[in-house]
Amino acid sequence: MKYATVYFEDVEVGHEMPPLVKGPIQQIQLTRYAGASGDFNPIHQDAAFAKAAGMGDVFAHGMLSMGFVAQSVTDWLGVGAVRRIGVRFAALVRLGDVVTCRGKVVGKRPAKEGGQGLDLVDLEIWAENQKGEKVVTGRATVALVSRW
Amino acid sequence: MAVRVNMSVKGKEYPPFAVTVERGKIKEFARAIGDLSPFYLDDSVGRASAWGDIIAPPTFPVTFRHEAASSETLLSDLGVDISRLLHGEQEFEHFKPIRPGETYLVRTRVTDIYEKTGKSGPMAFVVRESTVTDGDNDIVTVIRHITVVRL
Repeated sequence: MKYATVYFEDVEVGHEMPPLVKGPIQQIQLTRYAGASGDFNPIHQDAAFAKAAGMGDVFAHGMLSMGFVAQSVTDWLGVGAVRRIGVRFAALVRLGDVVTCRGKVVGKRPAKEGGQGLDLVDLEIWAENQKGEKVVTGRATVALVSRW
Repeated sequence: MAVRVNMSVKGKEYPPFAVTVERGKIKEFARAIGDLSPFYLDDSVGRASAWGDIIAPPTFPVTFRHEAASSETLLSDLGVDISRLLHGEQEFEHFKPIRPGETYLVRTRVTDIYEKTGKSGPMAFVVRESTVTDGDNDIVTVIRHITVVRL
């Protein structure tokens, strides 16, 4: 169930994140993201500008894709749980693309005895387009609560 | 004609700036991503939560902008045009939730600049790090940002 509490004991190395599918990407979403984020680079809005810059056509803000990836993590493991999220923008996301965010658990770091520190889960995260090409790759660390 | 970046920008610190997080901006940002979690959008769900209010999504600090420390300022410092920019990498390290009504101080520094030739030609990588602190002077978030300049 979306937004249910996931406990540290509920996840194991190798567990896969439920995929989050976003898109197809439309120009209006890029315009909306520009306004919300303050990134008004015309390369995301103006096809003639993007063409003159040698990019063929407009493409999505990398940060929009990172927002999708972050949402896939918080949908699964909880809002407020993300301690670290880092990504590389591997390929451009174009208009009409469908972006699927995926991930898996690659590590668990229990808090020290006596309740010091946090129970941490490390994830490999990525997003791919409808052709299966990775557009974002990265890692996240999430703090979960323990059942005990 | 080959493009060059001004390497002396490495180490530059931008003037710190303050930003007060607006409740409506958090909601606008979450909706722009299409993330409709009630922990971002519903004030009553926020009040009933462990934080006592809505909080911001993990990538929200990208909205912390100021003309004296902006990408436009970086571009003019580097001596390159916006059409040559790509976003290479981005990282957020979070220590405390970002809350509406709070005022944060943002300090940004260019930590590295290096050139590399990739499959799409020569590129310069500009690494910036921003530290976001709150009214208690606690570090709330550290942002690491790699901008790619197509040379």
